[in-house]
Order: sequence, then C-alpha cells, then structure tokens
Amino acid sequence: MPGILGEMFVQMTIPIALQILLLGFIGGILSGFIGSGGAFFMTPGMMNLGIMGPVAVASNITHKFGKAMVGSKKHGEMGNVDKKLAFFMLFTAAVGIRIAVQVMKALFSSQNGQGDTGGAAADLYISIIFAVILLFVAISMLADLIKSKSSDETGPSTRIVEFISKLKLHPLIYFPVADVYVSLWVIMICGLATGYLAGTIGVGGFIGVPAMIYVFGVPAAVAAGSELYLAMFMGAWGALNYAFEGMVDIRCTLLLFGGSLLGIYIGAYGTKVVKESVIRLTTGVIILLCVLSRIVAIPVYLQMLGFTSMDPAYNTYFNLASKSLLFVSGISGALIIMFFVQKAYFQRRKLEASLSLAEIPDSA
Amino acid sequence: MGGECAISRETLTDKATEYGIPVGKLEMEVLKNRPLSEEMSNVVDMFKAFTTAFLCERALKEDIIYHGRTGHLVVPGLANVLRVRAIADLEYRIKHVMIRLKIDRNKAKDFIEQIDEDIRKWTHTLYNADLDDPSGYDLTINAANLSAENAASALVNFVQLPEFQATPASNQALQDLLLAANCRLAIGSDDHCKNVNVGIQADKGNVSVTYMPRQSNEAKAIPDVLKSIAGIKSLVCTVATTNLLYMAEKFDPNDDHFFNLTEIAKKWNAAIEIVRIADEDEKPAEDLLEPQQPGITSNNGETGGILDDSDSQIVSTDQGFGISETVDKLIQIGHAGGSRTIYGGVDALLKSISKTEQYSLVAIGDVFSSKGGASQRMKREMLGKLKDKFRVPVIGTEDLKAKYLFGPKQLFNMIGFAGLFALIYLIGFRFQEPIMTFISKGQFGGSLTEKSFAALVVFLCIPVVAFSIGGFYGNLLKWLKVE
Repeated sequence: MPGILGEMFVQMTIPIALQILLLGFIGGILSGFIGSGGAFFMTPGMMNLGIMGPVAVASNITHKFGKAMVGSKKHGEMGNVDKKLAFFMLFTAAVGIRIAVQVMKALFSSQNGQGDTGGAAADLYISIIFAVILLFVAISMLADLIKSKSSDETGPSTRIVEFISKLKLHPLIYFPVADVYVSLWVIMICGLATGYLAGTIGVGGFIGVPAMIYVFGVPAAVAAGSELYLAMFMGAWGALNYAFEGMVDIRCTLLLFGGSLLGIYIGAYGTKVVKESVIRLTTGVIILLCVLSRIVAIPVYLQMLGFTSMDPAYNTYFNLASKSLLFVSGISGALIIMFFVQKAYFQRRKLEASLSLAEIPDSA
Repeated sequence: MGGECAISRETLTDKATEYGIPVGKLEMEVLKNRPLSEEMSNVVDMFKAFTTAFLCERALKEDIIYHGRTGHLVVPGLANVLRVRAIADLEYRIKHVMIRLKIDRNKAKDFIEQIDEDIRKWTHTLYNADLDDPSGYDLTINAANLSAENAASALVNFVQLPEFQATPASNQALQDLLLAANCRLAIGSDDHCKNVNVGIQADKGNVSVTYMPRQSNEAKAIPDVLKSIAGIKSLVCTVATTNLLYMAEKFDPNDDHFFNLTEIAKKWNAAIEIVRIADEDEKPAEDLLEPQQPGITSNNGETGGILDDSDSQIVSTDQGFGISETVDKLIQIGHAGGSRTIYGGVDALLKSISKTEQYSLVAIGDVFSSKGGASQRMKREMLGKLKDKFRVPVIGTEDLKAKYLFGPKQLFNMIGFAGLFALIYLIGFRFQEPIMTFISKGQFGGSLTEKSFAALVVFLCIPVVAFSIGGFYGNLLKWLKVE
C-alpha cells in the first residue's frame, strides 16, 4: 500500500492474505465451537501480522457484524433469541462502543504525531484490556470445571444472580424467551460493559454471554442466541463508527469472512459431538494461551513507548514468541476440534444404522 | 369417588429420594437458576420417570388424587385426568401464612413471593411450561371464595363426568407411560448405562430408545438392562444426535416427502418419531387392550455401518395408515424414533406432546386431506401453533427439500453465491488502492459527507458479502452432508 495509506494499512501480500484467511478459519472454528468470541484469536493474530491494533479491531468488528447477522438468523429459527433482552442491552451497548471508539481514536491520534511508535499506545491499551478480561474468563471457566468435578456443584455459580435478585432493583423487566426478571439498571451496566469491550477488543461475547448466564440467570442456549442477535447490532454500530473514522481495512474483513464463515459451521458441528467438559476444558486452555501470547507482546509496546530500556533487538524475539503462542493455541485448538469433527463424521456413516435391535424374551 | 388414594408431593419426593434420586440437590440447582449439567439433566429425567411410574402404577389399580406443584403436568396426554388449579388472592394467602408461620405481614408477603417464584422455576425447568397458562388446567378453584368442603364436593361431582372416566384407551396410555418410565428408571439405575442420556417412547408395548453417538459404548448395555422389564413387546435402540418429529394422517414409506425426511435424518444423524394425527371418532375401543404380536428381533451389535436387515417385522393393526411399514423402513435405515397415534386433532396433539421433548425439526405431512380447499389454510394455522409450542423449525414436508436438502435449486444457488464471492474478492483486491483511499477518508482529512458516505457504503456492503460467502459455504456443506 503506497504513500500515506501505507503508514496505516498493511501491504497485502499473498502470504499475509493467506494468514488472515487462516486466522479467520481458525477463529471461525473456535467461535462456532465456543459459541462466542473468535475475535480473541483473530484480533491479536492480525496484530502479530503487523496490522495496527485499532485497524485490526475495526476490521474484526466489521466482520463480526456480517457474521452475527448470518448466525443469529440460524439461532432465531431455533427459538434461542430473546429479542427483547437484546434490545434492552443494545442501547447502553451502543454507548459503550462509542466510548471505546473515542478512546481508541484519541490514543491512535496521539501516536500519529510521534511517528515511530506506530500506534504502540493503542496496542498496549488493547493488549492490557484483552489480557485482564480474558484471563478472568479463562480462570473462571477452568475453576468452574474443576469445582464441578471435585464437588457436588454443577453448572456455573449463581451467587451473583441470587445476590442481585435479593436487592430487587426496580424496575424489573420480564424477558419471555429467557423467562427471567432482570433489573433495568443491571441490564444497562452489563450492556455498557459488553459494548465497551466489543468496541475495544472485539470480544463483547465473552462478557455478554457470561453476564447473561451468571448475572441475569438466562439459560445458556438463549444467552448464546441473544448475544449473537445483540452482536449483530453492536457489530453494525461498531462498523459504522470505525468506518466513519476510516479505520476499517476492508480487505482484512473480506479475508476474515472467507475463512470464518466456513470455520463456524465446522465448529458448531463439533459441539454436537464433543462432551461438555471437553468443550469447556479446550476453550479455557485456548483462551489462556491467547492471553499469554498477548502478555508476551506487552514488553515490546512498553519499549516502543519508552517505558522500559529494553534493547529493541529483543522485540523480534518477543513478537516471535507472542505469534508462536497464539498460533500454537489456535491451531492446536482447531486441530483438536477438527479431529473430533472428522471422527464423528466418519463414525456417523459407520453407525448410521441402529446399533442394536434386541429380542425381548417371553418375560414380556 | 370411593377407593381413591391421595398422594402428596412430599410423599412422592420422599419415595424418589429413597429410590436414590437426589431430589434435594436437584431442587437446589433449579431454585438457584443454575444451568443443568448433563448429569443433572439425567437426574431430572429420572425424577420425572419416577413420578410417572409411581402415579401410573397406582392409577392402574385405583383412582388417585395427586396434590402438589406441576400436578397437571406429570402424566401428559391422558384425557381422563381432571387437572385442577387452586388459587387465592394475595391478601387471603398473606393472612393464612401470618397465622400459620406466626410472622409479620411483610415477611409473609416475601415468603409467598419466594414460594411462587420457586414453583415457577421448577415448572419451567422440569416441564418447560408456564404455571399460569390456563390451557393446562380443566378447572380453577378460588379458595378465597369457596370453602374446602364445597370445593371438594364440586370436584367429586365434576370427576363423575364421562370425560374423566377410564377407558381402554386411557388404560393403554397409562400402561405406555408406565412402561417408558420403568425403562428410564432401569437405564438410570444400571451402573453401565446410568449416564446415558436417552429418549424413550412406548406405544402399545413397542419401546423405542434413542441415545447420542458419543454414548454408544455405554448404551450397548441397554437391551440387556431392559430385558427384565415386563410389558415390552419390541425394542428398538437407535443412535441419534437429535430427534425429528414427523406428523401426518397417514404414512407412505415410498413417498418422496418421506424420502426427503430420511435424507435429512441421515445428514443430521437423527431419529424420526412418527405421530399419526387421528380424529377423535377414530379412537378404537376394547381392542386396544388386545395383545399385539411380538415384534422385532435381530442382531446384537454393530454391523460396520450397514444394518443387518431385520428378519422379522413389527406387526401392528394400524388399519392401512402405513405406520408399521414406515417404522419398518426407519428401522432398516437405522433412524427409528418410535411411533404413536394421537386422537382428537391438533388440540389433542398440542396437549399430548411435551414441550420438554427435544426435537430439531417438526415436519408436517398431510393432515387435513378431508377438508378440501380449507386444508392448506388449516395446515398453515397448525404450523403456527406448533411453532409457538416447540420453538424449533416447523415445516410442511413439501418444503423439506428446498429448505434442507441439496437439489438443482441449491446447486444453482451455490454456483450463484460462488460467483458473487469470487467477484467480491476480485474487485476488493484488484482495486484495493482506490477502495482503501475511499474508505479511509476518516483518517486522512475527509469531509463529514465523505466520511459518512464511506461508512454507509461499508455498512451496506457487509451484509451482501456475509450472505454471499455464508450462502456459498452453507450450500457447499449441505452438498457434502456436513451439517
């Protein structure tokens, strides 16, 4: 990309294009398998390819708009979408996205004047938010899994739901599909957080879905469907905002679509054939490795901003380690899922018939 | 009434706990709104099966009265059950609670609200039903306006009505419910297969068990476990990821629509349950209790993918409605999910099929063929009612191919989407510099109009791109039968 465009957007060579396509495919598999997210892999993956953080987030959220539109249509047919709940969250989520865009724009603009730092402040900010939030999600997920294995407790904790329901923060709104009463104030706070994170790191689903389950008490299937419906509007709003600011690299978006829309079908198929505990374990470990990958990249941004006196020569190694960790986590996660998918596909053919027909003796 | 036996919810809960079902733990999970794990879903199944077995067993011997939450839901599809709801206004209830528990008004009100909420959650989690849905009850009694004695007297008179008398058909339905429940309890109590998540249907002694492919190994023990259950005339165990419900007035295994449905079942690895919808006046009388000829025999294991063709057939007196032939066909291709007949049209159907039954698709064949020109409209209305009930895709069998299978239309669509996909990429990468220059106006001093226009173009293009690429992959995977 020549001239001034080259300062902001990556030169789209065939290897980079293929890597983005692969990122989309792996992100799609993870997204279809986990039920939300995928961006947690794609956003840092694009950053590792030299794409600036804000551009990676903007391109990804634009991609999320279309992806959620296709996915929520499917979920809607299955009756898993509580549109009322999604609309209530949408209003504050839109505010959250707008705040995120403004913060990002401010950080990014401040760096444009400093030349070499090349958006390092924005990248550092994205990386820290990413690491903190996803570390929390991964640890909670794995802790829940360990707890459910070692004790009689089953499913996610409901302590927050119980605590909030005792507060009786009026007005309480009834959501018919999810069949829950939730305080308007609680919805607004969660909507704001979801929107802000969707706008900042492109993974609002990792907050939206747990919030619906842990804070509102919504059934998991309805939470996933409703979040996807909400994500469609958040993605649309995010895309409009980032496109208005000129941050969307439409080429990246097209390539992400090319990979993710195939991967998402395969990942969703995987959920049908893999045990619940394996799904949670795989998801938790993948997220944890992605977080680690981002943490490893943080010293580079600190050095670029002059906060540390680390030798710039080490940046290459840190970047390489970060990139390797991310790809190892994503590729191994995707391979595990694909292993189960292909196994189930061939097993299905093999076991297509009834396994056994039993003769009932005279006792009947 | 005479000879009746009153059973309370507490008795039932105690008996279930004695049986080994962790009812207390289940209640805690439900009341805490905690999403149920696979293990707890099995506990729900076991508790429901125990409830059904306990009540049906006694109901076959004598008239029974069950009082407790979800009493109107525990034996679904039985016409001769009088389902009564007892209500009272809040003030009346508060006064009673204040006296009974010796607490002040506010605490009594909170207590009642909490109890109501707990019952509502329980009903929803176990039966996916709304406690306040009036269609679930035959009668509602307001305890604030009617004394207990007069209410009891009215109920005794009410229950004498012909609609609430036992018939051979209702006895058969009770026996089927009992049989399915006993099978579920036996599977859940066996060490080898207690964790298998099963769906069980019983129809006149013919039992159909479906289970998930990933539990195939544990499920191999099921036929042996069920051998000891009395009343089973035939047993079909089908491995299935999900269930499809196929409803019609009559069935033809050579019909194109049926073929399409089996193709979908193969793709989804689903079991097909067939339900014949019959008019009320078709209901047979005494012959229902006549024993059917025992049915299925065959192998005891896997056959490397091809089912060892059964050397015998289900023999059923389905009077030319094609049920036995269709079930035979389903067994041959390994997608049998049981069969039953529901008398009384759509309303009876809505009452009989539980919302908790997990179907991925409900397909409706010919159901109003005798209604002439009105049949299409009536079928549309029925589709609407069923969609509201199941909240899964409900579709006429005539639309199955277009919606779920790969035919010439889908091939044409796939080629069209592929062309669009290629065109989008060609334009996007061939002209990337002017496109990026236009889109990035917001970063490089574009006017408000230019920035807004660029944002609008991105906003409008994305759905077209997503649906083109998504449409291509969707059709491609449909073609490859990966869904």
